[in-house]
Amino acid sequence: MENLPATLLNLSLTGYVLGAVAGVLFLRAEKLANIFTFGCASMASLCGVVSSVMVLVTGAAAANQSVQLLPSLIPYIHFTIRVDPLSAFFLLIVSLLGFALSTYSLGYAKGFFGRKNVGVLGAFFNALLLATVLTFVADNIWLFLIAWELMALTAYCLVTFDHEEAETRKAGVLYFIMAHIDAGCVILGFLLLFQASGDYSFASLHDIGAQMSSGKRDAAFLLFLIGFGIKAGIVPLHIWLPVAHPVAPSNVSALMSGVIIKTGIYGLIRVLFDFLGTPPLWWGVTMLTVGTISAVLGVLYALMEHDLKRLLAYHSIENIGIIVMGLGAALMFLHTGHTVLAALALIAGLYHTINHASFKGLLFLGAGAVLHATHTRNMEEMGGLIKRMPQTAFFFLIGAVAISALPPLNGFVSEWLTYQALLQGFGTTDSLMRLIFPLSGAMLALTGALAAACFVKAFGITFLAQPRSKQAEQAHEVSGSMRFGMGVLAAACVALGLFPTQFVQLLDPLTQQLTGQQISAQLSLANGLVLASLTEKSGTVSTLGISLMFVCLLPIPFALWLVFARKSKTRRGPTWDCGQRGLTPQMEYTATGFSKPIRMIFKALFRPRRDVQREYEFSPYFATTIRFESHVEEVFERRIYQPLQILILRVSRQIRALQAGSIHAYLLYIFVTLLSLLLLFAR
Amino acid sequence: MNLDLPALLAQTALLLLMAPLLSGLIKNWKAKLQNRRGPRIWQPYFDVVKFLRKDMVISEHASWIFLVTPYVVFVTALSAGLMVPMITAHAPMSLFGGALALVGLLALGRFFLALGGLDPASAFGGMGSSREMTLSAIAEPAMMLAIFTVAIAAGSTNLSQIVLASHGPHWKFLDPSHALAFAAMFIVLLAETGRIPVDNPATHLELTMIHEAMLLEYSGRYLALIEWGASIKQLVLMSLLANIFFPVGLAADATPAAFGLGLLFLVAKLVLLAGAVVLVETTNAKLRLFRVPDLLSVAFMLGTLALVSTFLF
Amino acid sequence: MNPPTSESAAHLITLLASIMLVLQLLLVVQRMLVANIRVFATQSLLLAAIAAVVGYAYHAPHVYVVAVLTLAGKVIFLPWWLERLVRQIKIEQEIDAFVNVPAAMLICGAQTVLAYIVARPITSLERLGNNTLAVAIALMLIGFFLMINRRKAITQVLALLTMENGVMLAAIALTTYGMPLVVEIGIFFDVVVAVMVLGILVFRIRETFASMDVSKLNELKW
Repeated sequence: MENLPATLLNLSLTGYVLGAVAGVLFLRAEKLANIFTFGCASMASLCGVVSSVMVLVTGAAAANQSVQLLPSLIPYIHFTIRVDPLSAFFLLIVSLLGFALSTYSLGYAKGFFGRKNVGVLGAFFNALLLATVLTFVADNIWLFLIAWELMALTAYCLVTFDHEEAETRKAGVLYFIMAHIDAGCVILGFLLLFQASGDYSFASLHDIGAQMSSGKRDAAFLLFLIGFGIKAGIVPLHIWLPVAHPVAPSNVSALMSGVIIKTGIYGLIRVLFDFLGTPPLWWGVTMLTVGTISAVLGVLYALMEHDLKRLLAYHSIENIGIIVMGLGAALMFLHTGHTVLAALALIAGLYHTINHASFKGLLFLGAGAVLHATHTRNMEEMGGLIKRMPQTAFFFLIGAVAISALPPLNGFVSEWLTYQALLQGFGTTDSLMRLIFPLSGAMLALTGALAAACFVKAFGITFLAQPRSKQAEQAHEVSGSMRFGMGVLAAACVALGLFPTQFVQLLDPLTQQLTGQQISAQLSLANGLVLASLTEKSGTVSTLGISLMFVCLLPIPFALWLVFARKSKTRRGPTWDCGQRGLTPQMEYTATGFSKPIRMIFKALFRPRRDVQREYEFSPYFATTIRFESHVEEVFERRIYQPLQILILRVSRQIRALQAGSIHAYLLYIFVTLLSLLLLFAR
Repeated sequence: MNLDLPALLAQTALLLLMAPLLSGLIKNWKAKLQNRRGPRIWQPYFDVVKFLRKDMVISEHASWIFLVTPYVVFVTALSAGLMVPMITAHAPMSLFGGALALVGLLALGRFFLALGGLDPASAFGGMGSSREMTLSAIAEPAMMLAIFTVAIAAGSTNLSQIVLASHGPHWKFLDPSHALAFAAMFIVLLAETGRIPVDNPATHLELTMIHEAMLLEYSGRYLALIEWGASIKQLVLMSLLANIFFPVGLAADATPAAFGLGLLFLVAKLVLLAGAVVLVETTNAKLRLFRVPDLLSVAFMLGTLALVSTFLF
Repeated sequence: MNPPTSESAAHLITLLASIMLVLQLLLVVQRMLVANIRVFATQSLLLAAIAAVVGYAYHAPHVYVVAVLTLAGKVIFLPWWLERLVRQIKIEQEIDAFVNVPAAMLICGAQTVLAYIVARPITSLERLGNNTLAVAIALMLIGFFLMINRRKAITQVLALLTMENGVMLAAIALTTYGMPLVVEIGIFFDVVVAVMVLGILVFRIRETFASMDVSKLNELKW
């Protein structure tokens, strides 16, 4: 076939539509609904994977043209799509994750049988995937905005799927408000661009920044940063994320954390690198700073959580921060004209984007499996699950090692690239600004180490030691399709970690499009075994080599065993309990206890508050009941959003005076507005 | 890519054999400074062999994580060591990773060790893991800044390249920025190897131990592997410090004489560094846990100043 | 003017100066009073060493006088005298500070960066070492911060002394031959006298208020 990728993409879009329709059709038949909706979604996303990989491998030529999706019925609004390398890359992410999630959902949704309507879940799930794909491939402002809104709405419906619970409804409302602030900003930003171009198609917006006045350009930058920043969840616009992600069903949480927040990243890249032209220095500095702050604060707040899914949601903020750091560095390099370095930084950011999609998806699926088995999100009630759910535990461990940026998995590779970009960026300028590179690098190191601490906690408390509750004791391994879904993502983590040079080749058309450079050849050494940072001299790493080294060195401890310890015996015994009679789960270290040192060290930020109530009869040492409460202050909610909320309410109260309730008054308002507008334009 | 097999084997052997000796030396000197006779410097070898021969008791709550941890700790420390230039400027595995990979590998070992501490359901292990992860998290930025200083100066994160860049006639004895970075790294070294102002390697007192608390449930050959791994890690970090900041006497050509001289210089540098560690250990008291961040913040600031003083001009 | 006689002398001076800076940071962290005094003595010893190197390398014999004076006064006499004072009035060993250590570190770091920025345009004037002047300014700034941050009068004396170390270093760094000898000796005796006066004052404060906390001087108002 001549244009196979495009055909496959159409097939994939059709698949999502069919899935959504099937969900509505089988509202009453949950088993059929389950199979058809998620089956369609997995087939459709498989098509998407193949299509996007083909585009990336064959380069831009094949599919890089506008295609009319539907005949347009309204003037100006064209439903045109185009898969350029940037779109293809994000299409790959959504399809890859979509495939794993859909197969996982086949098993996961069974947990809802009899309780909730699976048809609704499946329909919205497909609609959300469809909207996300459309967002990535839209070729004009209108379709982009429509898809953007559709995505926000379907995501809202999925977040509030468990709408019986007050917490969920509250989270839904917060998400709804934030999603609309973000849509407002994005629309305003596009209006500014449209003013300069006079055309709605993305092609006409290419490098439009050169024709705009610098004031408007800066305004557009800020609007897009806020708009896409809310979607991506960068600090301080993140507050909806840790609230909304955890309450959704786990497959949806994985989709939201893995892909939906990446639409913000996609928007930023599309606008900043494609539309707005050569950036001034402060854009890059702002992005780098915001990214660094997001990364550090995200992981610090994650450490304070003992709700497994909220913890993961905070980690999304951290990882988005790391991605934004890469983009910020790339912008700074574009400003100084170092396009090769810009390509390197961009690759670092994009690599981390797909990495985050794979390991965060995996971790959310693992959390979903745990939730499925224990019916709780509270880590303090888990424990010992590694013996009851061995495969889930193994997959979760892979995700945990990957997200902690430990070699040889994929998180390490993308952070390594980020470090290299930051270090080499130091030489690009003489201004004092260059100190920002190593300092944000140091903060990246802090982030990585704290993430490791956090995942020792998450994995250790959830899966290791003794079960802390009845539910954890009675947990069981999840079904095959769920394990398959996790397995796909775990395999992606390992593959992306071990074969970075091969993957980077896929990004060549992308960096060519955005920075005019192809650098994959410079990043690859020794037939692709070794990843180099542009030259061999400036630093090399080989995750595959490191893994081989592990394999080669392992015989040493085994040889020691054979030589010295052949006769030694191994026996199982109780854990040392200081001579008391047996350890109980209450004596184990808790998640809260685990993160206490960090809470104390960063107490200026957390402002921890604790509250102990003790009831006793004779002496305080023999308490009958003890109640302990500990809180961490949400700085941003308290310091920024609450005052803002109060202000808005106060202003609204003033405005309410206008709401007279009489129809004549309203007519008068409209009339006056009309008149004044006419006068304004008649001038 | 050419793999220098003899060099690889030699460095592996060097790491394996020298690490216990270094630990023994430090222990012995510490005792001497405290007016004790102290164990022989060979004692750690005997310890390792004895542990290897012993039977093991494994907690009934432990899972396979507990069982793989010793191997991970040992192998990661060893692989990290193969990336550090020891006798010559060319580390055998420098192509496979530099400073960043080294930090990552040590972090991987620590990650598993902390999980191994949590696994047997003992509160001690949990406490040790919690503290170890916390302290290493706040030590990491300081270490990275110090590494960045030398890496930017050399234009490479590859340890061999870093050493080559400052090696030879260009090398100025302790450039001010290098002095500051060295001070930062030294503090980090104390924290990473569990030395006295941060952790006390000699104690098993519940409330003060960090590293030992995680090992509490290990016995027999697993304990041997972890202890050996820890001493290899110490050797790796100390030779990193020695060779990055004092790149003298590295073998320039592949003659036995040059190698011998290189070995001699390495031993001399390590002995000096060990002496410094011993001095710090005997003249200081262990810090309260929540005072350690103060110390590490000093290290962080020293790292920043190192950067500033090199590159603001 | 005349170039440095030897590269290595300049290098050595810069190195010693940066170790002085490290010691200054240590002063900020160190909470034990006696250790503080000793760190100060070490810092002064480094200053004397720098003066000696300058004297040797630039053939400026009168700088030797500065070295000897520093050695005698700041390395031997003042620390001895201060330690005696500490013993006499039996003050507690631990020093209170207003700002906690990490924050203090951040402030000191910022001050050092500021010092480097300030020193940048003057670098061309400077002939000794690369960033000795910056270190000198940093010493003064951090010394000032130390004076603000510490509660006890005796530690403020120490802070003043480290500031003076910074001044001396700047003098040596900026002008190859040092300031005119008279000025230097003048400064030196000024400081010694100031310290002694302050010491006596500390003694009196202690007697009057049974404390050395300078914030208690507020009570004099009533």
